[in-house]
Amino acid sequence: MNPNLTRVTGFVGFALLVVLVFLLPEWISTFRAQQFAYVGIYLIALLGLNILTGYTGQISLGHGAFMAIGGYTTALLMAGNEQFGQEGLLGIGGGMKDVWTIPIAGLVAGLFGLAFGLPALRLSGLYLALATFAIAVALPSVVKRFEEFSGGGSGVNLFGLPELTAGIIPVDIAGRELVFNDWLYYLCWSIALVLFGIAWLILRGRTGRAFRAVRDSETAAVSSGVSLAHYKTLAFGISAAYAGVAGSLFAIATTFVNPDTFPIALSIFLLVGVVVGGLGGLSGLVVGAIFIQFLPLWAQGEGVASRLPGFIVDRTKEPGAPAIIYGIVLILLMFFLPNGVGGLFRRAGQTLTRWRYSRSG
Amino acid sequence: MRRQSALVALAVVSALALGALPGAFAGSTADPGITSTSIVLGGTSPLTGPAAAYASVARGAKAYFDSVNAKGGVAKRKLEYKIVDDAYNPAQSVQATRQLVEQDKVFAIFNSLGTEQNIAVREYLNQTKVPQLFVASGATTWGRDAVKYPWTIGFQPSYQAEGLVYGQYVSKTMKKAKIAVLLQNDDYGKDLLVGLKRGLARSGSKVVAAESYEVTAPDVQSQVAKLKSSGANVLAIFATPKFAIQAFVYANRLAWRPRIINNSVSGASNIMLLASEGGKNKSIEGAISLNFLKDPTDPKWKNDPGMKSYRSVMGKYAKGANVSDVYHVYGMAVAFETVSLFKRLGANPTRAGLLARARSITSPANPFLLPGIAVRTGKGDNFPIQQGQLQRWTKGKWAPFGGLWESDRL
Repeated sequence: MNPNLTRVTGFVGFALLVVLVFLLPEWISTFRAQQFAYVGIYLIALLGLNILTGYTGQISLGHGAFMAIGGYTTALLMAGNEQFGQEGLLGIGGGMKDVWTIPIAGLVAGLFGLAFGLPALRLSGLYLALATFAIAVALPSVVKRFEEFSGGGSGVNLFGLPELTAGIIPVDIAGRELVFNDWLYYLCWSIALVLFGIAWLILRGRTGRAFRAVRDSETAAVSSGVSLAHYKTLAFGISAAYAGVAGSLFAIATTFVNPDTFPIALSIFLLVGVVVGGLGGLSGLVVGAIFIQFLPLWAQGEGVASRLPGFIVDRTKEPGAPAIIYGIVLILLMFFLPNGVGGLFRRAGQTLTRWRYSRSG
Repeated sequence: MRRQSALVALAVVSALALGALPGAFAGSTADPGITSTSIVLGGTSPLTGPAAAYASVARGAKAYFDSVNAKGGVAKRKLEYKIVDDAYNPAQSVQATRQLVEQDKVFAIFNSLGTEQNIAVREYLNQTKVPQLFVASGATTWGRDAVKYPWTIGFQPSYQAEGLVYGQYVSKTMKKAKIAVLLQNDDYGKDLLVGLKRGLARSGSKVVAAESYEVTAPDVQSQVAKLKSSGANVLAIFATPKFAIQAFVYANRLAWRPRIINNSVSGASNIMLLASEGGKNKSIEGAISLNFLKDPTDPKWKNDPGMKSYRSVMGKYAKGANVSDVYHVYGMAVAFETVSLFKRLGANPTRAGLLARARSITSPANPFLLPGIAVRTGKGDNFPIQQGQLQRWTKGKWAPFGGLWESDRL
């Protein structure tokens, strides 16, 4: 396919996405806006995970843990932990405005990612997946172990804090009043779109080529002068930083963190989201994020699914049915779209180009 | 350089768009969720996930409301009860609760299940002044922080009070008991442990080992083995059903025969029957537990009017559900109190009125609770049920012994 044409379609597609994102709240209720804010949050996490898994070929089953690190960074910087009885060195006083904690959360999670990237160098494939899984499994216990620092199982509540930009009282942004849900929506999606652009910039150049080289063949990459250590840890760092930002926004949107808000299931959902969205592509991830947020609801017969014929909706109310529906949809998706939604986009693009050239030629 | 300018452009575009677009606004005057023909309640429940066994609590309540609606409802209003799955994940409870409040516009959040799941939404509900009615959790915080959170009210006895009963029972009946505790690593497990220790105070008995597990863990085999090696002669199981069953099974496999205390959340007969492995489990005989509900498998209630109506409601409005599941009884008990609460609210119920009434309940007899157990609240009293009956597992069923224990008195 003509590379210029691809780029133009890409830019047009992205511009359309931006316009759509900022017009969407006009057509949906503020509650739906909140749900779509979570789509934006998942999109950020998926972008990061795809840099690691889709482009660099390192499977992570523990990205929920990096989100937790970001979420807790934000929560503690906002609420402080003196309320749990901690003083001295780790006695964080809190009082930071929510938006300023977001970059810090990304940074902290990114540092953790870099640190984890070093031992991960020795592991590959399934072994790495298991090691990352171990972090996700261990994290809730670790958080509960340091109860005075983290608030333990009862977690940290953020609702009603003055550090939260919007709460019950709407926020005034450039002369416009935004209720909490709309504010969340714009906050999450502004950051998601910027990070989308940054991911694209990282991946299109030298770094992205090195990532792909590592994924396709480590031996070939090394013999072409790509430093495995450098690029693998870098991928881990960037990916964890994305997860940290997502976790930070997750904490702000949920206005509550505790260890169970970042369960193992979240890490697995993220991997599912990347695979549904399409490994090694960015555009499909939007669909992957929608999938993570909405499929569990649709499987319960909520939202669009409530418009299905009555006898189907009734079935969804039976015990265990949502999980089965979720599984069936996932299997069907993988059956018909083995390369995810991104693969479908690519195929559609190729067909379009071929059709165009066969007509003009 | 080009990359940088592209980045800046992106940031500027999104920042501009952020400010330039209008947001919606919300606002209303009367309390939502109530019309002349309906009252809408909503709650979260773990329909899926590690605590899915508890989904029966919500299903039992819904079945009872449906039966009341079939007879015309309360003051010609039908009680609509929306149950949303949270998979026992507090983050999902927050989203689901906001959905119920903001989109489904419920009158009150009712019977949402789980300690942390309810803590996660408590601040939100109290600040938006939506009643958090009859929380399905016995965490101590519902009572302790009642002044700070006036829109929240519990239902079942507090876990600390329950632990206290076990502690006092052990100090009364045993000398120098060594107790090993298996607990869920959260407020629920810890509350029970705190209560147990308080009940043991100034007696020769003490807790010699405590092992915790995460609710997301697959099993508790290693914890049980460790507890056995502590040399304890009493095992306290402060665990949710799945893990309680495992604890009984592993204790038996290790040929460990301590006296077992099983907390009420896992005390249902159907759970005990699973744990008894068809009679092969030798450790379970003589286990004790505190109970406040009528057990649907107990032949004693065969002709009891309350349990008769339970069975007929289940047969009509919860077809296919397991009638011997005691959580359905819990659901009906809480739904029964809710219906009588609304009956006393008058023609124009308001959220504030509901709360005031919920703080002054004196219901002498709830047909789904054990005889003699009163449902009472008052100023600063946030636990409607504060009594329980100790029972012993004998030859495949529960046998009550002693009188009612009351947490006020303790």
